[in-house]
Amino acid sequence: MIETRGVYKDYQVGQVLYPALRGIDVTIKGGEFAAIAGPSGSGKTTLLNIIGCLDTMTKGDVLIDGVSIKKLSGSEKAKLRGNKIGFIFQTFNLIPVLTAYENVEMPLLILKISETEKELRITDMLNEVGLAEYVHRRPNEMSGGQQQRVAIARALVKNPAMVLADEPTANLDSSTGRGILELMKDLNQRHGTTFVFSTHDQLVMDFADRIIMLRDGKVISDENKPNRKGSTR
Amino acid sequence: MKLLKLAWRNVLRHKRRSLITAAAVSVGLTAMITSNTLMNGMDKMTSANIIDYETGHLEIFARGYYREEGMFPLDTIIEDPRPLENAVRKIPGVRGVTPRVKFPARVSNGIDEYPIIGIGINIRTDPEVFRTKTAVIIGEYLKSIDDILIGTELAKTMNLEPGSMMTLITRDRNGTFNAYDFIVSGLIMTEHPLLDANAVIMDIEMARELTALGKGATEISVRIGDELRIEEMRKEINMATGADYETYTYKELYASIFEVSGFKRMIQLMVALVVIVISAVGIVNTMLMAIMERIPEIGTLKAMGFRNNVITRIFLYEGGIIGLFGSLIGVLFGLVFSIYMIVVGIDFSSVFDSADLNYPVKFLIRGDLDPVMLLAVFLFGILVSVLVTLWPLRYATRLQPFDALRHI
Repeated sequence: MIETRGVYKDYQVGQVLYPALRGIDVTIKGGEFAAIAGPSGSGKTTLLNIIGCLDTMTKGDVLIDGVSIKKLSGSEKAKLRGNKIGFIFQTFNLIPVLTAYENVEMPLLILKISETEKELRITDMLNEVGLAEYVHRRPNEMSGGQQQRVAIARALVKNPAMVLADEPTANLDSSTGRGILELMKDLNQRHGTTFVFSTHDQLVMDFADRIIMLRDGKVISDENKPNRKGSTR
Repeated sequence: MKLLKLAWRNVLRHKRRSLITAAAVSVGLTAMITSNTLMNGMDKMTSANIIDYETGHLEIFARGYYREEGMFPLDTIIEDPRPLENAVRKIPGVRGVTPRVKFPARVSNGIDEYPIIGIGINIRTDPEVFRTKTAVIIGEYLKSIDDILIGTELAKTMNLEPGSMMTLITRDRNGTFNAYDFIVSGLIMTEHPLLDANAVIMDIEMARELTALGKGATEISVRIGDELRIEEMRKEINMATGADYETYTYKELYASIFEVSGFKRMIQLMVALVVIVISAVGIVNTMLMAIMERIPEIGTLKAMGFRNNVITRIFLYEGGIIGLFGSLIGVLFGLVFSIYMIVVGIDFSSVFDSADLNYPVKFLIRGDLDPVMLLAVFLFGILVSVLVTLWPLRYATRLQPFDALRHI
């Protein structure tokens, strides 16, 4: 479970203090498929980064499974990310010199699991995202959609409690984007992994069970779609 | 192992850049090894020339002679060298013992006159210690008391050849002038400037006659079997000869030359350091580029939960791989150049005239390779490459993951 308590974030741009988040209080329960939506500059990516311990907050706190991240050291945050959080980026962020298989293997290198277990997990995950045939391909030998599937497999291979996806479909055409969303939704339902997106794409919002709308660093609406499976608010 | 594989792939990402950096390391190491081999060779040849033609490993003088050696104090000589020779010869480890008489003189060909050093040698025992006999390149070694050997340089200067007559003028220990006509029996080429350009070698009996030394000698030269035991041997010789005599090693006798050698090595070390700094700057530059362009990738690794020490390790491996290849190539080239210098040598005769330098080394300098240095340089190359990577890495690992991810 993710709980944000009065989260503020200010950015200093030259002499000007730019408030990106102004007191965010949100609770996202395990297994949710939630979208943080809003126009550019509304603070959605900032919120996602703070939840994922990628960025620091100016004020407030975030609790992940009841643990405050505010007091965690850099190394403890790294451990938390390594164990509990998977990331999917708009630009896929695959390591270009590694094959699909090796990219998916990366998060497992810092976990203490056997080689057999690793192989099993990677193969299963690549099968699940439909890339069983592409294991030996490098990112530059794959389409954008395929690269994002590798990124999804990489985020999920360590069985994280949550996956944070920053505009995961922004660099994909709508049909590929839909395929990616269907895949994530399917994985969310089958694995029970929490998915939190930042997006301003209507398609993503259509798929989400819950839409947390931000504007100027504040939550302006928080809407559930009870008809969709996975909504647990 | 996986991280090493990743580092290897990253090195191959920009093959040309990695290659140029490795080449910079190679050039540095090759220069270090080559110059070291050359210096070692020069030092070895310097020592060999001094030992083989001038002093032997050790020289025994009458107490007080050495302090005024440059003045050739003929009143402070070894009056009866024979018992000393016999005593020293009995010491285990001594290979050869021979007396010499050195004295200042002038030689004349009837037109010109030159100052030289007369060297009287014992024809029988001299080859036990010195290689003068094998250095005769034209004519013959000393056969009779009237024969003399002169160096090729002196022969050229005075326009002499075997069979030519020349007059030697000197003053004996009583201050009386003596002049004697000699026949040049042979020309020697040692490429030791003292012997090639400034010395006249004759039978010790003739030298004694010219200087009125009776059966005396100015010094006794000793060759030993194991140079590493030189200090130990000196003590034994001192004990055998007693308090009236003193023994010096060739390094003490030529202290100024060996001090210069130490200075040369310092200069060489400084040059090597400059070369290493240049190589290091090359590596820093490459790693800086590699790190800067991959900061978003570092961000991705951080997002995945990689700690700074693991990320640092990846880049250190990259620096290490470049260093390893650079060092391997550098050592290989250094080895090739060194072997060339050892087998073929470098001919410096067109560059300088050793007679003018007054430095006991041959024109053809052969290298001498130190395998320990080779290994040290190899490891040093890798170590420097790894260590200099740390500096550009500090910036990247300090960034927050988010700042690294959005870094352009």
